[in-house]
Order: sequence, then C-alpha cells, then structure tokens
Amino acid sequence: MKTPFSARYSIVALVCLALGAAIMVQLVRINYTPFARDLILKSEDYQGVRKTVYPPRGTIYDRSGHILATNQVGYELGIDLKFVSDPESLAFAAASLLDDLDYGEIYQIASTEKQESENRYFVLSSYISKEKIIALEQLQETYAIRRQESRSTKPNLNGLVWTPMQQRTYPEGTLAANVLGFYNYFSRETAQGVYGVEEAYNRLLTGKPENVFMPNDPYQVEALPDINPGASLVLTIDREIQKMLEDTLREAIDWSGAEGGTIIVSDPETGEVLGMASTPFFDPNKYWEYEETFPGITPYNRAVGTAYEPGSVFKVITMAAALDSGVAEPTSTYNDATGVFWVDNSWPIYNWNGGAWGEQTMTGCMKYSLNVCLAHIAMDLLEEDLFYQYLQAFGFGRSTGIDLASEANFPLRLPDNNQWVSLDLATNSFGQGIAVTPIQMVAAISAVANDGRMMAPHVVRSVVDRGQQYNVTPQLVNAPISAEAAHEITQMLQVALEEEATTALVEGYSLAGKTGTGEIPTEFGYTSELTNTSFVGWGPTEDPKFVVYVWLEKPSISKWGSEVAAPVFRDVVEQLVVLMRIPPDNIRLSMNSKE
Amino acid sequence: MNKRILQAYRQAPWRVQLQWIGLFLLGLILAASIAGVYLSISGQAAAAGRNIQFIESDMAEINNEISELTADLAEARSTAKMLARAEALGYAMMDPDQAIYLSIPGFDPAADLVLAPPRINPINDRPVLRASYKSSLWDWFVKQFWNISEESTGIEREAVP
Repeated sequence: MKTPFSARYSIVALVCLALGAAIMVQLVRINYTPFARDLILKSEDYQGVRKTVYPPRGTIYDRSGHILATNQVGYELGIDLKFVSDPESLAFAAASLLDDLDYGEIYQIASTEKQESENRYFVLSSYISKEKIIALEQLQETYAIRRQESRSTKPNLNGLVWTPMQQRTYPEGTLAANVLGFYNYFSRETAQGVYGVEEAYNRLLTGKPENVFMPNDPYQVEALPDINPGASLVLTIDREIQKMLEDTLREAIDWSGAEGGTIIVSDPETGEVLGMASTPFFDPNKYWEYEETFPGITPYNRAVGTAYEPGSVFKVITMAAALDSGVAEPTSTYNDATGVFWVDNSWPIYNWNGGAWGEQTMTGCMKYSLNVCLAHIAMDLLEEDLFYQYLQAFGFGRSTGIDLASEANFPLRLPDNNQWVSLDLATNSFGQGIAVTPIQMVAAISAVANDGRMMAPHVVRSVVDRGQQYNVTPQLVNAPISAEAAHEITQMLQVALEEEATTALVEGYSLAGKTGTGEIPTEFGYTSELTNTSFVGWGPTEDPKFVVYVWLEKPSISKWGSEVAAPVFRDVVEQLVVLMRIPPDNIRLSMNSKE
Repeated sequence: MNKRILQAYRQAPWRVQLQWIGLFLLGLILAASIAGVYLSISGQAAAAGRNIQFIESDMAEINNEISELTADLAEARSTAKMLARAEALGYAMMDPDQAIYLSIPGFDPAADLVLAPPRINPINDRPVLRASYKSSLWDWFVKQFWNISEESTGIEREAVP
C-alpha cells in the first residue's frame, strides 16, 4: 500500500544515506592526509613515555658491615616549556640555586617559543641537593601566598620541575677512596665505576637496566617488571684499620717530607687485604676534582698502580730462594773481605755503606743488609736459571690479579731477553733493576709468612645478589718455597730485626721484617740522592696474622728505610695488634699451653 | 489450530506490534546489560591502572626515602662523626701501650658478616639410583610381567627419558 508520503520518505532516506557515505569517505580521507600522519606521530608523544629504569647501584660495606659506598637522592632540575607562564620568576628562582647558570641564560631557555615542541623540556642541572629543593619548595609556597594576596597569577614557578634520582655517595669521605674508586653518576647513560672496586665490579654493582614503556592510558598500565638492584659487596677492608693506616700515612708523610706513600696490611693466611692506604687522598664525593688531585700520571692507587725498585726488602725473596733450594743455610757463611763483588770482572757491587763486613752468616747478611752477600748468592749459588724460576714462582713479572682496577705490572727482564746482562742478576738480588708493585711484594712476602703458600690478594669478601650471599673462597696461587724454608727466613729476620732494626720493634710481640732503601734511577744511572724507603714485616712470627708493607717515596728527612719506613711500621703494628685483638706473645703462649 | 491463531492476529494486529516491541525491548535490555558490564569492568580496569601508577610512584618514593635514610645513617655512623661524638662525650683515643688483653670465652669479634642467607645449591630430587637397581629379582620379574601384559593390552606407558 502506497501512502502520499512514500516518495518524500525515500528522498529523505537517500539524502541521509548520501550524507553518511560522505562522512565515511571524509573519515577515510582525513586518515590518509599528510596532516593526519603528523597528528598521529604527535599523538604518540601523549600515549606515554619510554624510559630506562636503572636499578639502584649496589652498596659497598667494609668487613664489619659499615657502609663505604651507597646511594642517596639527588634531584634533576629542568624546565618544561608547556607549563611556563612566568619566566622571570622561574629564572630568578633557578638562578639562586644553581652556580653554573645565571639569570640571563635560564630566562632565555624559559622564554623559548612553546611551538618548538621537540625542545619543550630542558635540563638545568643533573643533580642538586635535597636542601636546595626544600628551599625551592619554600619559595613556591611564598609565591602562592603572594598570588592569593594580590589576586594575580604571578609570581609562579610553573614549568620548573624537579625529579628525584639516585646518586652515589661515600659517607666516609676520603676513607678507602683508593680502594673504592668512584662512580661518575652525572651522565646517567654513560655513568660507570672508575678505578678500585667500583670499576672492577662495575657490572655486578650496576645491575641490569630495563627499558620500559609507561603509558598514560590507565587501561594500558601494567606493573613495572621486577628490577633487581645491583649486587652489594662486602670488602675485606676493615674500616678501623683503614682509618688508622691513613692517619699514620698522613703523619708519616708530614714527618718525613716524603712525596707520597702507601701502607698495606694483609692477612697472609687468606690473602685478604685488611687495609690499603695510598696518597694522594681523594674525596670520591667530588669526583669531578679528580684531575686536580691526580695531575699528570699520578696513579689513583700507588699500592697497585705503581711499579718501583723496592731495594733491600727484595733480599727476603733472594734469601728465601737460597734456603728453599738448599744452596744456603742460615748458618752458611760468606766472607766479605773487600766490600766489593765484581760481576764479570767489569761491574763492581758495593754494600750500602761501601764497607767490608768480614765473615758473615746468612743471618748476618740479612741483618746488615749486605748487597755483596746477596749478589754472591744470586750469581754463584742460585745462578740465573734458579733465581728467575723462584722470582716467577713468587709471582714477579705478572699481575697478582687483585680485584682492583688498573693494576700495573712491570715485566721481568729474563736471561733470554736481549737487553738482559749478568749485572741484572746481581742487582736484582737486592732489589735494583727490577720494578715491582707494593701489592706484588705483599703477595710474595705473604708466602714467606704463610708456610710457603702464596694466596691471591683480594679485597672482596662476599657478594650479596638477589637475596643470597656468595662468600669468596681464598685462592692458593702457588707454593714457591717449603714451610721449612719459610720458617727459617722468618727466624733469621726476627733475629735481624731484634738486633739491628730496633726502630721497628713492638714490645711484647715477635716480629720479622726487613728494611729497604731503593735508589731511584735517572737517565744517567743511580745518581740521585733521593730514595724509595720501604719496610716489610709480619707477625706474630709463630703464627703470622698480618703482613705490613710500608713504602715512602723520596723522603727528605733521611734516605734510609731503617730510619724512615721502619718507625712507621712500628706505629702501624702497635695499633694494629689492638685493632686485630692479637694478644701479646706471653698471653698467647699461656693461652696455647692451657689449650 | 493454526487457522485460529492467524485469525486472532488478523482481528487484533496490535498483538504483532506488541511482539515486535517486546523483541526490541529485549534486545535493548541485552545491549544495555552488556554495555553496563563493559563499563563496569573497564571502569575497574582503569581504576586498577591508576592504582598501579600510584603504587609505583609510592614505591619509587619509598625507595628514595630508604636510600636517603640509609645514606643519612651511614654518614651518622661514619668514623669522623663517631669520633666527634665520642670526643664530645668525653672519650679519648686509647694509647696502644695501655691496652690490656682480656680473653673472653665465646666472644668472636671476627665472625663473618652475614647480610643474606648463603647461596644454596638446588638439590636434585631425582634418586641417584634407578628403582630397577634397587628392586629384588622377584620385583623385577613381576614388573616385567605387568609391562608385557600392558603392551599386549595396548596400554600406553610413559616414555622413559
């Protein structure tokens, strides 16, 4: 049945259909115009932010659990141009907080045209302190009150944003800085540990950063992935011992006029480094001052980073080799009739005072530190093959592998090297013409103090990662000499110390040790009056608990190790036995007899 | 019967209209219910999403606070601060010569620092010896017998790795 309105209805329906179709066509067309593409790209900016989530860097503890390095909150200060409405007040507030940017520069940034959407956020400072942020918040409140009073929209700090970020902090300041290294956190993307354990364990401490997308749309929000914090480290360093060493080293340098120095204390039984002080002292909280503290080629940690000619402390190694190989005994004698030892009838070797000391036992040779005697042992008794075999067995010529960054190593000049001459064998026997690092000496001497077993020196005791603690097992590196030879040399050096180097003695404790005075070579030979003074000692001799190595570089007060380094050794040991709770010999022996 | 129904509709056409209206309303109610459920669920999802954002923000804030407190505590317990506090309390550094050694049974100051439980190697639950090595000859014989009977009846056995 047709109604009079049918045609009209049909026309209206057709018009509606055409309109609908036109809208559909337009919708499709709009989506494919170049403007649409730009719009879609811009819309992605508002969908969320893609950011890298950095796990907190691991904490570093001393062996008793005192924190040596951890993280605190610093703030990134920036300008978000989208929200800036009062650039004058913003620039004034920011300039009052920042040292490196003035009002004009900040005002220029804050007044940038907002249309340049790519540059809408500017970082003013990467890390500013919490105190400054509190000051900023107070200023913000003051401005809010002023706005209320004046019923105005100004002054305001809209667009000035601060974001909390973790920054590295070293609560002990300069303490153990040479062991810890530092973390250059300013540039977050490229930040890494530099020197010390911070560099050696950088990957473990850093953890694994995750790249995540954080949508603004609440429908798309998902929980962030679990990000494990970086592993924490427990060092073998004892904070109290480290403090004592650094204080003693400071005093020693002031007193002796030395250019620099280092003191190392280690446990010979495990190879654990209990303390390691080195000059110059440095505050890793201000790591950007690194170049001022370490100008030129100044090493960050002399204990591992500098090789030097150690002088007579090296005689311990030569004598240990002679006793172990059986070419000499403590009572064997050497007749120093002339005070000179000729190498290949060409090069004379003299004693430290140029005198002749007559007939001496091996103990006497060590007691009076006779160069001619040690040259005789190396040249006539050990000979080159055996001597250098022992040196290599003691680890000289290669790195100790200590878990600190930037360990130096000076290769041994061996007889198969073209530059080697027989004079080298003679001079090497008393620590000349051979360069070693203090940590190499400590590792080698630890073998003598530990029944001939040489342990790998290390500074990390445990690693705490993902809720579990991994303890580092002490590593045996080598056994260069027998226990008998180790005991013999210890007894010889105990006698030598008691009778000749009394400045190193500590009442109530049996100690063994050796002084060292190393001449410093120049381009014209050993012509300089300046020396490297060293002392190495260990104790208690029956059951050594520590090895102490002292090196003072170019002291002005005296050039002899017995006068400069030996008293420093005594000062260290006097305090060390208290800190390590080592009983005096009489108490220890009575305790042992009761057991 | 059919004739009577058709007649009834012819006599009262509004019945057909009512039927259509009923159907339309049913569809409308169904659509409204679905839309209601959808809205409710998406509202809850959005609220949960916002909650996640708030919780994550709280977590970041708490972590920052923990870091701040840890750093403050470490600084308060640093050697320099402790020394200053001790001196303020009237203590003085001991002269090592005056130290008296006392042996206290059971006191071990050098005990290892434990910050977390030690690493435990996962224990393999599988027995070291296979069951067949521990069974008697009779058990083995019975087992083999059953295996053969299972195979003959077509029962599938688990694959042995």
